[in-house]
Amino acid sequence: MSESAYPIAIFFAAIFTNNILLSNYLGMCSFLSVSRELKTSFGLGVAVIFVMTSTSMLNWIVYYKILEPLGIEYLRFIVFIIVIAAFVQLVEMIIERVSEVLYAALGIFLPLITVNCAILGVSLFMVIRDYTFIESITFGLGSGIGWFLAILAMAGIRQKLKRARIPHGLEGAGITLIITGMMALAFMGFSGMLQIG
Amino acid sequence: MKQESMFSTRVYPVLFMVALTVVFISVVSGIFLTTEDRVRLNESIFQKRAVLYAAGIDFPRDNPPKIQEIYEERVQEVGGQEGQPDYFRIELPSGETGYAVYVRGAGLWGEIVSIFGFQTDLQTFTGVEFVEQNETPGLGARITEQWYKEQFRGKSGPFQLVAEGASDAPDELDALTGASRTSEAVLKIANKAAEEAQETVEQEGQ
Amino acid sequence: MATRGKMKKTFTDPLGKNNPVFAQVLGICSTLAVTNKLENTVIMSLGVIFTTTLSGVTISALRKLIPGRVRMMAETLIIASFVIIVDITLRAYMPDVWQQLGPYVGLIITNCIIMGRAEAFAMNNSAGLSLIDGLSSGIGYAYVLIVIAFFRELMGTGELWGITILGDWWTNWAIMVMPPGAFFMLAIFVWVVKGAIIKEEEAAK
Repeated sequence: MSESAYPIAIFFAAIFTNNILLSNYLGMCSFLSVSRELKTSFGLGVAVIFVMTSTSMLNWIVYYKILEPLGIEYLRFIVFIIVIAAFVQLVEMIIERVSEVLYAALGIFLPLITVNCAILGVSLFMVIRDYTFIESITFGLGSGIGWFLAILAMAGIRQKLKRARIPHGLEGAGITLIITGMMALAFMGFSGMLQIG
Repeated sequence: MKQESMFSTRVYPVLFMVALTVVFISVVSGIFLTTEDRVRLNESIFQKRAVLYAAGIDFPRDNPPKIQEIYEERVQEVGGQEGQPDYFRIELPSGETGYAVYVRGAGLWGEIVSIFGFQTDLQTFTGVEFVEQNETPGLGARITEQWYKEQFRGKSGPFQLVAEGASDAPDELDALTGASRTSEAVLKIANKAAEEAQETVEQEGQ
Repeated sequence: MATRGKMKKTFTDPLGKNNPVFAQVLGICSTLAVTNKLENTVIMSLGVIFTTTLSGVTISALRKLIPGRVRMMAETLIIASFVIIVDITLRAYMPDVWQQLGPYVGLIITNCIIMGRAEAFAMNNSAGLSLIDGLSSGIGYAYVLIVIAFFRELMGTGELWGITILGDWWTNWAIMVMPPGAFFMLAIFVWVVKGAIIKEEEAAK
C-alpha cells in the first residue's frame, strides 16, 4: 500500500482537511434541517458516527468477500444501500429493546440516517480509493467525527443567529449555506497541518 | 380495517420483494453484460491513449479504431502480462526509440498512477499522463489539465517546484496554487520516474 | 382522471416557487459536488432527471402492489437499479466523464428529491402524472445546479464546457472551483430567488 494511506493520516484528513460535508457536500439534507437545534444535532451526530463506522466495515467485507469474488461489483449501489438500511433497522430494533433512554435519545434519528448521503458516500469512496480494511474503518470513523463536528458547530452558530437580524431572503437555508461556506474555508486552513507522505 | 390474513402480512411482502429484486437485478445485469465489451474496449483505449499522449504522438482523441492503428504501428509492449506490460517501447515522432513506464506514488488522498514517456536517454521526458488520481477536485485534480501535463515535455530531473505558471528552465515544474501537497507528491513521482524507468528497461533488456 | 390543468400544474409547480432546491434546499448532496464543471453538471443532471422520471413512473405503476411494510425497501431498490443503469451507461459510452464523476453518480440514490417525490407523489398518483412530476422535479433541480455550475466554471477557470471564454485579463477566482465556492453560489442563488418571491408577495398584498 502506498505510504500516504496510513490509517492515521486518513483519519485526520477525513475529519479536517477533507471533511465529507464541507468538501464533498455529502449529508447536506439532514445537516440543513437538523442543525437548528443543538441537542438534536448532537444526537444525530453521534448516530452518524456509529452507523458510518459500522457500515463502512460491513460494506468492506461485503464488497471484497462477496461481490468481488462473484464478479458482480456493478451491483454495489444496491447492495450497499440495502446493507445500510438493514443495519439501521437492526440497530433501531436492538436499541428499542435494550434501553429506552438510548432509544429516546438516538432512536428517532436512525431512520433519517438511511437517506443520509454521507453514509453511502463513505462506502463508495472507500471502494474507489482502494482502502484496506483498517483504513476503511478509520476513514468511516474520521468522516463520522468530521460530520459530527460540522453539524455541532453549525448548530451552535445558528442558536446565536436566532437573535440576529438577517436579510429576509437569506433567512433559513441561505444564511446556513453562507456559514457552511465559511466553515469550509476555515477547515481548509487545517490542510497545512497534515503531513502526508 | 378488517383482520389481515397471514398471507397478506407475512408472505406477500417477502414474495413481492423477491420478485422485484429478481426482475431488477436481471434487467441491470442484462444491461451490464451487453455493455461489458464496450467497457473493456474503453479501458484498453484509455491506456493506449495515455501511452501515446505521454510519448508525444498525435492521435485523434475520439476515434478508437485510429488510436488502435497508430498504437499498433508505434508501440510495442514489453514483458509483463497482456494489457499490463512492464514497459512500452515506442517509435517517437523523431524516429528515435522512446520508452514509457507506469510510475506510481502517493498522492494526497490515494495513489497517483501515471505513465511517463522518455526519450532514448531514459532521462528526458517526452510527456506524462496521469491515469489514476483521487486528488481534490478543483485543486489537486488540476494535474490532469492539459497545460499542466504539457509542461513535462522535454524536461529532465531532478526537479524543483516554482510558482504556478513560472517554470521555464528544464528542471523546474509548475506547482498548483492551493494544492501544495499534490504538487509535492507529483514532484516526488517525477523525480523518481527516470530511475524507475532505467531499472525496468535494464531488467527486461532493451 | 387527470385533467389538462392538473397536468400543467404538476409540471410547472416544481419549476417555480416550489422548486425543491431553493424552496426546501433538498437533494443538493451529490450534484453540488460536481458543479465546478458545467459539462459534468449537465451530464449528472441528465442522470438525475432520468432517475426521477423513471423511478416515479415505476413506483407509481406498482403502487397498488407494493406492500406497506416493505415500501421504503422497494422504493430504494427501484431507485438504485435506475442509478446503476445510469452508471453503466456512462461507463460504457462516456468513460471520461464517468471517471471524473467518480462516486457521485452512485450517490444519486440518496438524493432526497427522488425519494421525496416517490413518497409524496408517485405513491398517490397515476403513472402518467408521476412521469410529468418526475420530469419537472428533475428539470427544476437541474437548472439550479446548471446555473451554479455556469458561474463557478466561468469565474473559477475563465472557461465554459472546457473552452476558454474570458481572456487573459480575467484573474481566475480559485475559490469558485473550491468547495466553499459552491456553498456561496448556492446561497446567493437562494437569496436572489427568495428575495424576488418575497417582493412579489408583498406587492400582492
